[in-house]
Amino acid sequence: MANSGARTRAVAAEVVDAVVSGGQSLDAAIAEREERVSPTDRSLLRMLCFGTIRKHWQLQHWISQLLGRPLKKRDSVINALLAVGLFQLYDTRIPDHAAVSQTVEAARQLRRPKLAGLLNACMRRFGREKIAEQAVADEQARWNHPQWLLETLRKDWPADHEAILKANDSRAPMWLRVNSARQSAAAYLARLADDDKTAELLEGIPDAVRLTEPCSVEELPGFMDGDASVQDAAAQIPARWLMADRPMRVLDACAAPGGKSGHLLELGGAGFELTAIDSDARRIERVRENHARIGLDATIMVADASKPREWWDGRPFDAVLLDAPCSATGVIRRHPDIKLLRRASDIDDLSALQGAALSALWQVLAPGGRLLYVTCSVLATENDGVVQGFLETNDDAVEDTVLPNNNIRDLMRRKACGYQVLPGTAGLDGFYYACLVKKVS
Amino acid sequence: MVNGPKGLLEIMAKLKILEFPDPRLRKKAAPVEVVDDALRVLIGDMFETMYDAPGIGLAATQVDVHKRLLVADVSSDKSEPFALINPQIIEKDGVTVTDEGCLSVPGYYESVERAEHIRVRFLDRKGEAVEMDAAGLLAVCIQHEIDHLDGRLFVDYLSEAKRQRIRKKLEKERRNAAVAL
Repeated sequence: MANSGARTRAVAAEVVDAVVSGGQSLDAAIAEREERVSPTDRSLLRMLCFGTIRKHWQLQHWISQLLGRPLKKRDSVINALLAVGLFQLYDTRIPDHAAVSQTVEAARQLRRPKLAGLLNACMRRFGREKIAEQAVADEQARWNHPQWLLETLRKDWPADHEAILKANDSRAPMWLRVNSARQSAAAYLARLADDDKTAELLEGIPDAVRLTEPCSVEELPGFMDGDASVQDAAAQIPARWLMADRPMRVLDACAAPGGKSGHLLELGGAGFELTAIDSDARRIERVRENHARIGLDATIMVADASKPREWWDGRPFDAVLLDAPCSATGVIRRHPDIKLLRRASDIDDLSALQGAALSALWQVLAPGGRLLYVTCSVLATENDGVVQGFLETNDDAVEDTVLPNNNIRDLMRRKACGYQVLPGTAGLDGFYYACLVKKVS
Repeated sequence: MVNGPKGLLEIMAKLKILEFPDPRLRKKAAPVEVVDDALRVLIGDMFETMYDAPGIGLAATQVDVHKRLLVADVSSDKSEPFALINPQIIEKDGVTVTDEGCLSVPGYYESVERAEHIRVRFLDRKGEAVEMDAAGLLAVCIQHEIDHLDGRLFVDYLSEAKRQRIRKKLEKERRNAAVAL
């Protein structure tokens, strides 16, 4: 009987190649192919794919040292397989002999038997010549980020960019949001302890629980009944912030997949009315599923946030959450493919979209109401850049700089306007928040 | 002159593995009558062939020896080698589905349903009768290899169309390899 380990390496190489050469997102590339791997090997597959994409530039740097001349374009999957192979040698506890034999066998499964010898030679030389220990001059390889992003981060965060780069390359912890309508985070912590799961709370983010070890959601007490949801603690700040002055009629624009709108519902109480919209019909199904699990209802619509005329009934909202589409450069540790898929030119396009959505949604906000602009980006162009531009051109808008509680201040960096949580701070994802109030004329 | 374990390793030989649709894979193997040194040398060669492939199980049929003998090691560090002579499954229970692959059908993996636990009776390398319980991957592997001894392949559990597709692709690959040589 043949070993399925080689198969897992071959599929990992196809996933990595689909991201690197085909521009597919990592989640989609895995979802499309993971059925071909036995269920017991799927966590290994994810580990290999995420790790190889996370260390892409470093691995490619080593590959260019090992290969006299680059592989042909039509053999890009073997280049990806070699990256998967080196990643196993460098960054995992897989025994070297197993990593080499399974990776070499995978070349045969990928119908490139003639390149198996080359893979074998490269992987053995990598260990023998201690290539991983050699100093790296190339900046992209040293930091595992593309040049444009290195430069932008250095410009936007002169004192913090190295910490951001390191945080981006680390693995994110698993955070839960406890449904506070049912029990406190402290009470849920005790339920986790009954299941021998250790976790901790975080000052300033009252519903958040950080698990010491990630686990599957089925193992979480009460997960299927909506007692807890998986959500980074930084993504739990917006609902608490917006609900601090008890608005009754709230809009969540760009709601998919529905984590923040679920949180708004949990905090809403009797008479609370939430409208959740998203322009993506498929992703809006995730919003329905998320709300169904926690057993709460919102008005859900497929709608474009920047075109309220198409969907708004004319009744103003007390509060609006705009979780704007963005570069997602604050969540690179969870989505390392962002480093490969985003281009420098995307940022200006995104900032134009964000500005348009902000201006459009301002129209549906009641005088005296608050709009919270949120991104999971760390780039100024998408954050304070957008909000500053909006404040300059809208006389009825003013920033509300009061934070929802004092403990949260320690997690935040004050920007020209708005606040930033940097990735890795207290184990959080990178998020930007700016709260705007519409003046009563 | 051969002496010591190193000497033994030197005389061990890697064997050629038959590939689907070779008709010899369809022969039914005959029971082993004596467990002697010649058989023990064959077992050593089969382990070497299996580890080199790399595989986790190999039946004598696959190396064109039509005796009821199989070797298996599902560990990742060659630490659990089993040689089963005249194996017979005497109990089965549970159902498990595994993505199986086969050294005689290189490069293809398909889901196959098997018993989850088995009890198997066999002769060990010394020729002594033993019984063993196996579960999980080892149980699947032993069932897969015993199939070989009966002339059956895992692709026989797939649809006719799928089996033909695999056969055609492997034949084409072999033709291409022959041209390349």
